[in-house]
Amino acid sequence: MLTSFNQSNTHKAKNNLLWRLHIDAPLLLGLLALMCFSLLVIYSAGGENLGLIKRQMMRLGAGLVVMLVLAQISPRTLRQWAPVGFVIGIGFLLAVLFFGESSKGAQRWINIGIRFQPSEIMKLAVPMMVAWYYAEKPLPPTFKQLVIGLVIVAVPTILIMKQPDLGTSLLIAASGLFVIFFAGIRWRYILGALAAALVMLPIMWYFVMHDYQKGRVLTFLNPERDPLGSGYHIIQSQIAIGSGGIYGKGWLNGTQSQLEFLPERHTDFIFAVLGEEFGLTGILILLGLYLFVIGRGIYISLQGQETFSRLLGASLILTFFVYIFVNIGMVSGLLPVVGLPLPLISYGGTSIVTLMAGFGILMSIQTHRRLHST
Amino acid sequence: MYKRQAIKDVGKETSMFFVRCIVALLFVVILMLVLISRQVKLQVLDHEKYQTQSENNRISVRPVAPVRGLIFDRNGILLAQNRSIFALEVVPEQVEDMQMLIDELQSLMQVSDEQVAKFQEQVKFRPKFKSYILKSNLTEKEVALFSVNQHRFIGASVEARLERYYPYAGDLVHVLGRMGAITEKDLEKMDQKDLDENQDVGLTRQNYAATNKMGKLGLERYYEDILHGAVGSEKVETDVRGRVVRVLEKVEPISGKDIYLHLDLDLQKAAADAFKEVGARGAVVAVEPSTGGVLAMVSLPTYDPNLFTGGISSAEYKKLLTAERPLYNRAVQGTYSPASTIKPHLAWLGLQQQVITENTRIADPGWFSLPNSEHRYRDWKPWGHGATMGVLQSVVQSCDTFFYDLAVRLGIDNIYQGMFKFGFGQKTGLDIVEEKIGILPSREWKKTARKQPWYMGDTVNIGIGQGFWTVTPLQLANATAVIANDGIRYQLQLAKEFAQGNMFEANVPVESYHQIDTGDGSWLDLIKDSMYKVTQPPLGTARSAFGDAGYMAAGKTGTAQVKSIAQDEEYDADKLDKKFHDNALFIGYAPYDNPQIAIAVIMENAGGGGGNAAPIARKIMDAYLLKEQASSAVQNAQSMHVQQQGDLTHAD
Repeated sequence: MLTSFNQSNTHKAKNNLLWRLHIDAPLLLGLLALMCFSLLVIYSAGGENLGLIKRQMMRLGAGLVVMLVLAQISPRTLRQWAPVGFVIGIGFLLAVLFFGESSKGAQRWINIGIRFQPSEIMKLAVPMMVAWYYAEKPLPPTFKQLVIGLVIVAVPTILIMKQPDLGTSLLIAASGLFVIFFAGIRWRYILGALAAALVMLPIMWYFVMHDYQKGRVLTFLNPERDPLGSGYHIIQSQIAIGSGGIYGKGWLNGTQSQLEFLPERHTDFIFAVLGEEFGLTGILILLGLYLFVIGRGIYISLQGQETFSRLLGASLILTFFVYIFVNIGMVSGLLPVVGLPLPLISYGGTSIVTLMAGFGILMSIQTHRRLHST
Repeated sequence: MYKRQAIKDVGKETSMFFVRCIVALLFVVILMLVLISRQVKLQVLDHEKYQTQSENNRISVRPVAPVRGLIFDRNGILLAQNRSIFALEVVPEQVEDMQMLIDELQSLMQVSDEQVAKFQEQVKFRPKFKSYILKSNLTEKEVALFSVNQHRFIGASVEARLERYYPYAGDLVHVLGRMGAITEKDLEKMDQKDLDENQDVGLTRQNYAATNKMGKLGLERYYEDILHGAVGSEKVETDVRGRVVRVLEKVEPISGKDIYLHLDLDLQKAAADAFKEVGARGAVVAVEPSTGGVLAMVSLPTYDPNLFTGGISSAEYKKLLTAERPLYNRAVQGTYSPASTIKPHLAWLGLQQQVITENTRIADPGWFSLPNSEHRYRDWKPWGHGATMGVLQSVVQSCDTFFYDLAVRLGIDNIYQGMFKFGFGQKTGLDIVEEKIGILPSREWKKTARKQPWYMGDTVNIGIGQGFWTVTPLQLANATAVIANDGIRYQLQLAKEFAQGNMFEANVPVESYHQIDTGDGSWLDLIKDSMYKVTQPPLGTARSAFGDAGYMAAGKTGTAQVKSIAQDEEYDADKLDKKFHDNALFIGYAPYDNPQIAIAVIMENAGGGGGNAAPIARKIMDAYLLKEQASSAVQNAQSMHVQQQGDLTHAD
């Protein structure tokens, strides 16, 4: 009945309730599917702990609310406030550097009534700022504009790297660089930058990276270096995924996860639980859902009517993919261990809210278009 | 300038953005394919490998200890049983901070520093990844306390283990022995034995994988391989902390065999009680002449082996290290001068070697001396036994002078060979490893042990069982049984049968018996007759102890000097330190015409054999021979009881 109702109202589709709430139905559907999958896996990974599920549902709910709120704000308003947000974010980062609270050897938190990580704000503020900068410029940018764009990206990146939080700083750098990429930076600059990065690698190794970061890379290259220490994570997660096979051991039946051989099963290494219990089939379903969400995100960006919207939307969705790639690459042994959650699947707090805010922006871009043209 | 800059070519920008988006999407798809190919590699191509690794992670095979065989007396009374005790155990490799764990456990229950030290000692020297006992014999309260707080103590657990329990404690410790922790040395010895014998004796490191104690003394030690059984195994699923989640497969261990002894618990207790009544130190061995089975074997003082279960504290152990030496098994390790108790054997040897006949008579002035010597070997009777002492009367009255003379007539070589046949100077072959040999002196022995030639005077002392000659109570009882048995010497055994379920198997010792050439039977009859008369008036040295016995007994008393008395000295017990008082001895068997029990009693520093050891022997023989009547009464009562229980069952 519902289907027939929808079909008979295709013309009015854009005028229905979801549209008026500034919600993009396909994107929401994809996100909800991922969330359901997440709860399923967390229930198993967390030892069938309903309390865990309840807390995660509350977070997802909060994320959906934030998404809804951001979807109401038009891209025009976002663009107006982008510089303000960026400056405030930089202020917070400086504050963290000087007055922040430490946790696990890194200074990432600040307490202004609520305790939060300013770097989370920057995940949105940096691409917004860069997009703001290029929004009115004729594109592709000139060399000078390119350099200014890079400076905008570099300042927060370096501040976050100082905390130190390599994973997040690279993500933020990526989100900014993606904007520059979509702004039309010339291919020769991209190739040049890649070459420069190769040259920089050894310099980074000797002068920038901390010992624990080097250790992670070394362990990644040879997990047996420390089979009971940091190599343990990688070895056990690969055993979990590999032993899952094509169809998996079945929900709640993964021995690696249920018998607790797998560390951080419901947070960063949740992908291994999924791989063990649902096998390659489950992984393909997950990647399919992700691909759908990303495709929808790019589609929305392409439909964007203003440069700011397009650049921001495309950057956000590509950053979302970076999360996915880095986490899965790490858990399945392609990349060194970096403390990044699997977006929307891992159990955890702030990152979900930030991600959902990003999707809120995408929805805003989609639903605030002037409809006269179509 | 301003206008030129502000111009945006919207069409060109849109198409460029479109291209960039396609490139980005392509980039995403390619990286997704990289991820997928990685998963295919893990989940499809290398699936087998990871499958195995995951199985190895969760499944471990652990050994299961067999249940140790039980030990029963000849009437089926349980002497050594297995009881569950709770112990607090720790697997050191699973503990993050040992000191913190111990501190916290100490705040929960009493764990002494000594126990901690002992635990740490074990951890240092024993195999890894095994659990070691920190505190044993936990009370119910302690078990409950720990269980409630278990989550705080990763690596520690309360385990129920079967431990040996000896209901008759000290009364049987010198028979049953006791258990002790298996040391690395024990394991190495097992390995060595494996290599040497290249056969399955059950004593292998593998077989003991789940066992942490083994027999260290007595029967527990001798029959370790029989009692222990064969180790089993179980395939278990464990979590990352090694906790068993479930058992997947199990190969049941094979319990050790039960052992039924020749020993009679009632007799054993009667013998121990008889000693305890007079507060004596010493030993009793009673054997069944027709089989060589040991009916009772007592050594006093004694101690409670249950103290050792779960480790004895050093304070308690020190208490056992007294001058009384309760840990010392006098019955098999004590070596004593046999004194006059071997006179019947020497007399028989004299007759058999024909250096005397039953008509030989000698004069006893109260002393003996060798030709051309001033030295006088005194008789216990200062004025002598008269002018016409024959062999029979010399045994009955224990005439020393006759046997000084007989020893000289026989010569040391004859004595050595003759006495060896009675089982002296060798192990009786009892199933106890700790058995001592004592000394049956010979020319050769003196040359090697003392670096001196044999003197004629040495032979004289041998005639009355003094001098160099020492025997164990076991040997003495054995030699007594040989006389009772008309010259057949069996290998003494404590174990009678082994049982596995309902399958019984007799214990057949390797060299079951020796037959002594008794020659003319009348010689042995004469000796037996003399031993009978020892227990009879008018002159038998044990007449007061046995005069009114309800059966005919044969025996021989002995009183052994512990300290040599100089030529011009008199033995005066009052003047001597207690530890130099004479040892009282008695050997005997009964009933005279159909011997069922042969016995040797040695009481340290108790005085004369006739007055002290003979009454004990009488009590023991009474307990054994007269129990028929008593026990049939008990059996009647028991069957009545069973009947009543049966009725009750029906009533239910």
